[in-house]
Amino acid sequence: MTIDGSELEKRLARIRGIFVDISQHAEKQMQLRCPYKNAQCQCTAKFGCRYQRKPTVGGDPLLCSHDDQFDFRSAWESDPESREKMRHQLRDIRKNRY
Amino acid sequence: MAELSDIKNETVRQEIEEYIQREDERAEIVSLYSRTSPLMQEIAAGIIGGKNKLVDELTRRALNDEKIDALVIMDDGLIAGMAIVGIKFRENFIFVPEVLSCARAMKAGMAHIDPILSASGVEPLGRVVMGTVKGDMHDIGKNLCIMMLRGAGFEVFDLGVDTSPDEFIDAVEEHDAKIVGMSALLTTTMPNMAKTIEAFIDADIRDDVKVMVGGAPVTPDFALEMDADSYGDNAVECVEIAKKLMSEIKSETRG
Repeated sequence: MTIDGSELEKRLARIRGIFVDISQHAEKQMQLRCPYKNAQCQCTAKFGCRYQRKPTVGGDPLLCSHDDQFDFRSAWESDPESREKMRHQLRDIRKNRY
Repeated sequence: MAELSDIKNETVRQEIEEYIQREDERAEIVSLYSRTSPLMQEIAAGIIGGKNKLVDELTRRALNDEKIDALVIMDDGLIAGMAIVGIKFRENFIFVPEVLSCARAMKAGMAHIDPILSASGVEPLGRVVMGTVKGDMHDIGKNLCIMMLRGAGFEVFDLGVDTSPDEFIDAVEEHDAKIVGMSALLTTTMPNMAKTIEAFIDADIRDDVKVMVGGAPVTPDFALEMDADSYGDNAVECVEIAKKLMSEIKSETRG
């Protein structure tokens, strides 16, 4: 089975058109709504964020509590090493307290 | 004139009824789907639902068992599905994570078309290795770039997040990639782009690849400073840069 090159180019142009529209809308939308927040307001990020909340049902993904009204990026905690260090520090603080 | 009830697939019917609100778009989409076969409608529904495995299986069946023409599968299944996804995203019914799932489902379908493209003499525009650098877990910007690059006809190898210099080097060598795209979203991880480029020099592959970088803290000046070949501000620009780098590679090879 083969494909006619010019016919294929028409299809690729349509795919490109759809994706360009998607990317441009994503750029605009990302100014206020976190791109890791899905339609169910669940967080899909692989890193920590201040706006993450525990789900009501155990095993469900974390929920996002951001209201989409201002820039959210300062809440991201993305450096795994810093996060680990912070986790250890918190454990030490707890140990010392109790 | 085609009616919504002419469309056999219930999921597609519901999607159109619920989400396609502009009259002109609804008429166009109903007209498109009403002439497509149930199998193509199932593929489109799989794309809309972001179901990789389903799209993979249905596309394989359409090509191999039903002997449906690849262009028909692209028109009536893959592109038709993605068209509804695009509208739902524009109207804020779905968001970036859902769109990326749908794009991955489309890729699963396109994977069956790719060998036919090769057999027809249609080669990818180039091979690109993409990854978020070591220590950084952000992937949305990179994933949008990958979606755009694949849509434009590039073959892309996604290394994911937290990618070490060695992983970049191994991927370049394994796939004979000519372009490496690196992403970082943090000022703290941005230096790892420079470290990766240094590692390319140590591994003696720096002259074999063009490096493009991007991400919120990265600027054209930083890109220059770390000796990257190009900087991109967004996913649309990423495609233009990759095309420019490929043409540079071709002219260097000729020269």
